[in-house]
Amino acid sequence: MKRLTHLPTLRIDPSQEIPLKYNRRTYQGVHGDTVATALFANGVRILARSLKYHRPRGLYSLDGECSNTFMQVNAIPNVCTENTLLRRGMTVEAQNVKGTPETDRMGFMDKLDWAMPAGFYYRTLHKPARIWPLALKQVRKAAGLGVIAPDFEMKGKYDEIYPQADVCVIGGGPAGMSAARAAAAQGLRVILLESRPWLGGFFDYRPAEYHDGVPLYRRARELAQRLEETTNVRIFSHTAMVGAYNNNLITAFQQGGPGDHFDERYIEIRAVSVVVATGCIERPLLFENNERPGVMQIGCAHRLARTYGLLPGEQAVFSIGHDLGLEAAIDLFDLGLKVACVADIREDGQDPRLVDELAARKIPFWRGWVATRAHGKKTVTKVSLSTIPGTQQRDFGCDLLVASAGMTPVTGPLTLAQAQLQYDLHTGFFLPAQLPPKVHAAGRLLGLHDALAIEASGHLAGLEAAADCGVSVDADRQRARENLDSRPGPVRGCKLVLAPVKGRKSFICFDEDTTIKNIQQAIAMGFEATELIKRFTTAGTGPGQGGIPGHNLPLFVAQYLGEASVAAQPTVVRAPLVPTFLATYAGSHHDMCKRTPVHDSQKQAGGVMRRIGVWRRARYFSQDFSCREEIVNVRNNVGMLDASTLGKFRIWGPDALQALQRVYVSDMSKVSEGKVKYSAMCNDDGCIIDDGVVVKRGANDYYFTTSTARAGVTGEWFRYHTRYDGWNFSIVNLTDAFGVINLAGPNARQVLEKVADADVSNAAFPYIGYREFTIRDTIPVRAMRLGFVGELSYELHVPSSYMQALWDILAEAGRELNIRNFGVEAQNVLRMEKCHLIIGAESELRTTLHDVGLGFLWDRTKTAAKTVGAVALRQTAEQEGRLKLVGFKMEDPSRTPKDGSLIVDRAIRGYICIARHSFTLEEPVGLALVEAPLNQEGTRLEIFEDECGDRRLYAKVVPTPFYDPEGTRLRI
Amino acid sequence: MALTLTCPICGQRNGYEFRYGGEEKGPRPDEEGLSPEDWCDYVHLNKCVAGIQKEWWFHRDGCGAWFTTQRDTTVNLEVEQPEAQL
Ligand SMILES: [Zn+2]
Repeated sequence: MKRLTHLPTLRIDPSQEIPLKYNRRTYQGVHGDTVATALFANGVRILARSLKYHRPRGLYSLDGECSNTFMQVNAIPNVCTENTLLRRGMTVEAQNVKGTPETDRMGFMDKLDWAMPAGFYYRTLHKPARIWPLALKQVRKAAGLGVIAPDFEMKGKYDEIYPQADVCVIGGGPAGMSAARAAAAQGLRVILLESRPWLGGFFDYRPAEYHDGVPLYRRARELAQRLEETTNVRIFSHTAMVGAYNNNLITAFQQGGPGDHFDERYIEIRAVSVVVATGCIERPLLFENNERPGVMQIGCAHRLARTYGLLPGEQAVFSIGHDLGLEAAIDLFDLGLKVACVADIREDGQDPRLVDELAARKIPFWRGWVATRAHGKKTVTKVSLSTIPGTQQRDFGCDLLVASAGMTPVTGPLTLAQAQLQYDLHTGFFLPAQLPPKVHAAGRLLGLHDALAIEASGHLAGLEAAADCGVSVDADRQRARENLDSRPGPVRGCKLVLAPVKGRKSFICFDEDTTIKNIQQAIAMGFEATELIKRFTTAGTGPGQGGIPGHNLPLFVAQYLGEASVAAQPTVVRAPLVPTFLATYAGSHHDMCKRTPVHDSQKQAGGVMRRIGVWRRARYFSQDFSCREEIVNVRNNVGMLDASTLGKFRIWGPDALQALQRVYVSDMSKVSEGKVKYSAMCNDDGCIIDDGVVVKRGANDYYFTTSTARAGVTGEWFRYHTRYDGWNFSIVNLTDAFGVINLAGPNARQVLEKVADADVSNAAFPYIGYREFTIRDTIPVRAMRLGFVGELSYELHVPSSYMQALWDILAEAGRELNIRNFGVEAQNVLRMEKCHLIIGAESELRTTLHDVGLGFLWDRTKTAAKTVGAVALRQTAEQEGRLKLVGFKMEDPSRTPKDGSLIVDRAIRGYICIARHSFTLEEPVGLALVEAPLNQEGTRLEIFEDECGDRRLYAKVVPTPFYDPEGTRLRI
Repeated sequence: MALTLTCPICGQRNGYEFRYGGEEKGPRPDEEGLSPEDWCDYVHLNKCVAGIQKEWWFHRDGCGAWFTTQRDTTVNLEVEQPEAQL
């Protein structure tokens, strides 16, 4: 097909050809084409088959109003090709067809519409139930849109940004651009969103006069250029607004261009004020076969020629209800289209200049006539026109029928922003009756048509938005309002929805194959509310998001029911307003995690790193995931572990002790200098949430540790539970500021002695002691003698910047002893043998301090402290029916049960928290939470492992700890 | 969480920077002599007002302040400036 290459309005570059693979054949498009326009340029007229009836569908709109141009692009189904830019290397295939769209072997479905009345699925396919599997299979085969391959993997780069703005303008047409300009002139930060790849809106493609001989398209380019040069305006083109939320949170999706680092980008804008200037789409005209390929909207036909250089047909009939239709007929005639007839629904009210222009070209112009039927099996070959009452009829041969009932505003964004819409008798539009605070509407969606009035309306809205941002614009606003009032106001709109036909093949919704007859059937069945009719007939629930039936449906229902159309309400729309990729919502998907200061050293030493909470930690130090050597080494020699992920806090100030008393269950006044105190925190239900140690470093100055998982929330926890008290204390999270090395094993002292500038003998630094000293005259160390793994051990806390040095010093000092690293899993087994708990592993949300046997930590006398959890601890101390923590050994020592296995008798009685083979005891041991009385020593536990069938494992409740019950190893 | 909240220290910020801390119920009751029922009511019973309620928020991704503010629960919008809590 020959392109019109000389037009100044083109958005394509005909010199740059781009090949396109469609249904295994190669076609040529050009730079700037969409996939659909490229196919159109190659003579492809039938682009798809419809959902249910497999009716042929072609290019009808250009902004994604319906699913007519949905195809599979690069293996992604349901891509709207009418607004997807053609790119090099694209592979496109038709979907929901047997064969090709031209020769779909499912085309016979169209004749079966009598068998599928409204609500067919709901009413027919529910009994007998045994037909369901068959029906489901057949329906799925015959209906639907694209199919996704089971092994499909989404490719591409997806990004997200969260900009802030004073004013966010939705719509980059003349009104939106004027609004952005007016707000920007006040020095405000403005964001402008435009769904097409360029600014200009409905000025962009029109050669009609703007003012003083300047054509509209040139005016649009001027406005766009000026905005692009304005530094405080950020323009997002090819960006569809999809959501509006409280306090003007606007979400949008941007398509990446050739120079962009993303394919699609999620944008979330917080704006003080919002201007909605989304303009209009066309309200489809309903007649028989109103969606036959060859029928298209005014804008589609006009833009095909003016934007893409493609004459939409050879011989055309126009059946329209708006001056834009007359303008398009004149312009397309001048570009070479034969126009058989222009039928205008309106009896009067046309712009007389346009009527004169039609006459000058000898184009037959019939007022009060409308298309009633498109003929032609696959594409339009003939059109029947009739008078509005249907009294006279005439046929015209043609291959193009430009059909449109009129304009209708794009109200989706306003509805999402909670604006109240009301039917307006003059314009026939749903207009905002009440706008939410700091939301403004401007331009064509208010019914304006005059170019200067549209700009004036945008300008005023921009100033209103500026006023929301606290800028004083009263005088400007007054002038802007007067300027708008001096221009032509909203134009009278055409109200017709349905031509004088029965409507069996008049499609109100293309996506869902819903006809006027279906709507009538639904009403006959008693549905009167538009929302219910929408759901029962599924009209407007397709991917076009109501772009075709959105306003026709309520108007038709109101007219059909004979109600005053004032009561009509558009059906509710919801975000996202346009279909969007889940991949874009998922965003760039960075795996963000923290690394300890000695991450690299551990990796070099063979550490197998695993994600644990927010951290990456060394879980193993060999490929033997049982960690035998790491464990045996700690029990018999000395090992070191990076424990930097521990939560670490300083709390100080006159009321620090009171705060500690509030959140820790023990009497924290007993924390004394030089000694470590172990305690726990509970929530208000007495359930244990954390444990750790506290040391006192001076008057009203404490340092304490939390579990890794609680490091992020402990500051918040302290402040929450003291929020009424007005206490004077400060708390600071030192988790990242300090690193920790745990030096553990019977030979630990031999290593520490070599490097510490202090006496670390058992007498000078006993078990539970806390000391501060330096290592090698330099590194300040906070040292605690603890025994989490059940051996002599030192927890050395140092500033993070010293961690690497300390790590190297200890490794060097321990070399002659064959010191080894041990990882998180070895520590897990070691501490389990000693029955030291990990909160979250041996406890859950409903596990109290008593349940895990730590009730002794609670000081029940300190009621004045109002300790968090104390009331519940008192109530649950003797409560029956709770899960209690017990240790167990296996009857068959060759088998270790899996973590999480259930303890059962005839019912579930508990579960295994952890079970491991103990190399120290040479048999499997574990901890379980079980119901009383199964917690009695000697009880036989029946274990149900996942997928074990009838086989059970058996264990026996034994005293804890399993290892070194007297605790002598800690004190050597 | 599309709403904005006004932190007494940082000003108006995106709602997802904050963590909800429940309805304002007054200070913790005295532990001495408190019945289990009264305690349970204090901890777990909420008024769930359809309208304006005073409630606690924590500026998690910000300054770390707990503060109260008024929110209209029917539209999920803050309706007044918050009261600072030290
Ligand atoms: Zn703050």
